[in-house]
Amino acid sequence: MMRSIKQQPFRAAVLVLVWGWLLFLVLAPNMLVVGASVMTRNPSTFISLPLNLDAYRQLFNPLYLDVFLHSLYMAALTTLICLLIGYPFAWALSRVEKRRQMLLIFLLIVPFWTNSLVRTYALKLILATNGLLNSALMSLGVIDEPAQLLYTEGAVIVGLVYLLLPFMILPLYSVFEDLRQDVLLASHDLGAGRLATFKNVVVPLTLPGVLAGVMLVLLPAMGLFFVPDILGGSRNLLVGNVIKNQFLDARNWPFGAAASIVLTLTMALLMFAHRLSKRRLGEEGA
Amino acid sequence: MKKLALAGILALGLTGCSSDDPQVLNLYNWSEYMPQEVLTRFEDETGIKVVYTTYDSNEAMYARLKLLDESAAYDLAVPSTYYVSKMRNEGLLLPIDQSKISGFDQLDPELTGLDIDPSNQFSVPYLWGTTGIGVDTADIAGEPVTAWEDLWDERFKGKVNLTNDMREVFHMSLRVLGYPGNSTDPQQIEEAYEKLTELMPSVRTFNSDAPRMPFLEGEADVGMIWNGEAVMGKESMEALEYVYPEEGVIAWLDSFVIPKNAKNPEAAHQFISFVLQPEIAALISEDIGYATPVLSARELLDDEVAGDRASYPTPEDMVNAEFQTDIGDEALQVYAKYWEKLKSGL
Amino acid sequence: MRWLSRSYLTLVYLLLYVPIVVLVVFSFNDSRTGYSWGGLSLRWYDSLFNNHAMVQAMWNSLWLALTAATVSTIIGALTALALHRYRFRGKRVLNGMLFVVMMSPEIVLAISLLGLFLLLGLKLGYVSLLLAHVTFCLPFVVITVMARLSGFDERLPEAARDLGASDFTMTRTVLIPVIMPALMAGWLLGFTLSMDDVVVSTFVSGPSYEILPLRIYSMVRVGLKPEVNALGTLLLVFSLVMLMLSQWILSRSKQ
Repeated sequence: MMRSIKQQPFRAAVLVLVWGWLLFLVLAPNMLVVGASVMTRNPSTFISLPLNLDAYRQLFNPLYLDVFLHSLYMAALTTLICLLIGYPFAWALSRVEKRRQMLLIFLLIVPFWTNSLVRTYALKLILATNGLLNSALMSLGVIDEPAQLLYTEGAVIVGLVYLLLPFMILPLYSVFEDLRQDVLLASHDLGAGRLATFKNVVVPLTLPGVLAGVMLVLLPAMGLFFVPDILGGSRNLLVGNVIKNQFLDARNWPFGAAASIVLTLTMALLMFAHRLSKRRLGEEGA
Repeated sequence: MKKLALAGILALGLTGCSSDDPQVLNLYNWSEYMPQEVLTRFEDETGIKVVYTTYDSNEAMYARLKLLDESAAYDLAVPSTYYVSKMRNEGLLLPIDQSKISGFDQLDPELTGLDIDPSNQFSVPYLWGTTGIGVDTADIAGEPVTAWEDLWDERFKGKVNLTNDMREVFHMSLRVLGYPGNSTDPQQIEEAYEKLTELMPSVRTFNSDAPRMPFLEGEADVGMIWNGEAVMGKESMEALEYVYPEEGVIAWLDSFVIPKNAKNPEAAHQFISFVLQPEIAALISEDIGYATPVLSARELLDDEVAGDRASYPTPEDMVNAEFQTDIGDEALQVYAKYWEKLKSGL
Repeated sequence: MRWLSRSYLTLVYLLLYVPIVVLVVFSFNDSRTGYSWGGLSLRWYDSLFNNHAMVQAMWNSLWLALTAATVSTIIGALTALALHRYRFRGKRVLNGMLFVVMMSPEIVLAISLLGLFLLLGLKLGYVSLLLAHVTFCLPFVVITVMARLSGFDERLPEAARDLGASDFTMTRTVLIPVIMPALMAGWLLGFTLSMDDVVVSTFVSGPSYEILPLRIYSMVRVGLKPEVNALGTLLLVFSLVMLMLSQWILSRSKQ
């Protein structure tokens, strides 16, 4: 008892500092975005009254809906490729003996610690018309003329996958780590074939990892505007580009704010799905 | 406590702030639009440090200036043609004291006193130029390119560069359709958009940071380019030609302006005077390939530069040339809508 | 099966490292065009260090990352301690907010902070960048420190006190050493996140304080610039050293 009283000033100070920071720099700014999204665009002051839902209506205007859906498609494709590469990768990684595993994990996060812009730029060196990949393919006689690789949607996908792959692998790796060998053996003993074991045991048990990975990849894949700028020939392929343009070029703040709120809601939906899958898993385990 | 923490951080910020030095000039300019040598010489001569930040479109420059309106961030900017009148009308600019600008009388009378700023109270011309067609003559076969229309040619599929500038791209398309480049008619703008969607499969990239680069890198063979970029590109790629399209080039005049809340307008005036010196103006024109409005500088130019039709067009080249004008916010929103969609490649 | 998984791992690692190897090799390339090999040279390193604006941006970025990492480590450690040791109302809300910061799209964080700074009339520059960077680094520090505290034997501080140590002595001799590795790991993570950030910085920076990622961004957009290769290589070496340092600290603390 005495101690908690003695700690009161310290405790109060810490709590005020932390709460203050988060209210001031997280809650308040987010409220501002919500506010801006229901205001009216004003060419000279950015936003003004009256309040309305025009920005949201605009978002569902077929014109912009197409842009949004296309961005979603790009992000989904990126996520899918990351999953297809990452799932077997994480599984294989979890089977490597422990000592080498640490080294391999280390090697996996080294690229993550290297400036992402610079890495995107390196991809440009490889994909360019006169770049390394084309020269290599041509000298091998696979193609006669350089293929158009840079400034395509494909190049943007490659860039996004390259930047985001570790974010898919790490959560998957951790669920595979927890996947106990005896569970698989038990399934086998009960007469399940490989495919049945995979479908009925492995997939459900690794689902939280899949969803965590999807969350960590899908959302950045919609926002990383510099990837299309560098590898996509400045096309607007992501919602991130549209949002950035609305704020920094076209000055349509309500619209940009509405688009970001939709992005945030997408995240909330994913997190909800993630929790749900975890909870269900917990119930089944109990 | 929150305030205290904030104060602490602010104090920390002050010690970390490297720009305490009052003699700094924040210059906001297009990418690659001022030779480093000019900046270095200005710094050596005056002791004023130049912080050079860049933009790739008038829209971006304008939005950022409005955004940072209160914080007095920029001392000098270089908007194109009608953006001068737009910013002037909105009260975003400080008047320029012509008595502090030496060399103003040396400017081409055809480029001063224009409608955008009748008595040059707010702007001083820096360079002028055109947006035309760049052609990599080594890489294309067949008929020579003479018109904007030719960009739609099948043989250029996947090889066209466009500037990342909404107004310029629509200007081009409107001219191909025979409409005025500054159209405000939603019908015409939509038609121009439809026309551009036909071009999109051919478009390789949008580049307004350095439109010569896609040509040099072999990504583009033909497309929109600024004349100065074509001149600079030719230095490392002999085959790069600048073509004045039949429908008419897009002409522009870039002027120095001082934003309303500039922190160091004195230095801004000094810098303008420095750049207007015939010797410096000639150096800039030779180095980056655009035409200088300083008449006495033109006499100092190399014959090769002065005689280069790309930098200094003949009257015939400019027959259908059109300057861009302010089209108002309403039309701008129409353009912006289609531009977003166009750039999504849909 | 084993053979298959081995070669699959190798293949993915190869793909991950090809661009990085290309970058490093080309930074020593004498050729100007950037695609063909023109012999060994250090000219791009030379031109990098002769570019004053670049060097200035480098210092600015280092200073920003240093301060942002430090401030976020201090606040993050205090937050983690509070979450771990105290019961208070709204604990879950606080936790939730940290989670929101970590998970919300960077671009949303960026525009929301821009809105706030404009509303307050705060000049965009070092201070706005610092506030923004500390905010997005904070949850990562909290999580790192929390993870460390959760594996910590609660009886230790009790024992220290029973032996007559004062609160201050206990914190200094027991708590701080225990969370030290987590503090350092969190600091390094914050430092890296700050050095790498493009999205948030694009929105909340002004001309008075130019930082490296934005400088690189404008260079890369212009086209091929061999200086970028040199810069990228330097950054790679720098982060490798940092990463190994953190691994070393972590492994030493485990012993």
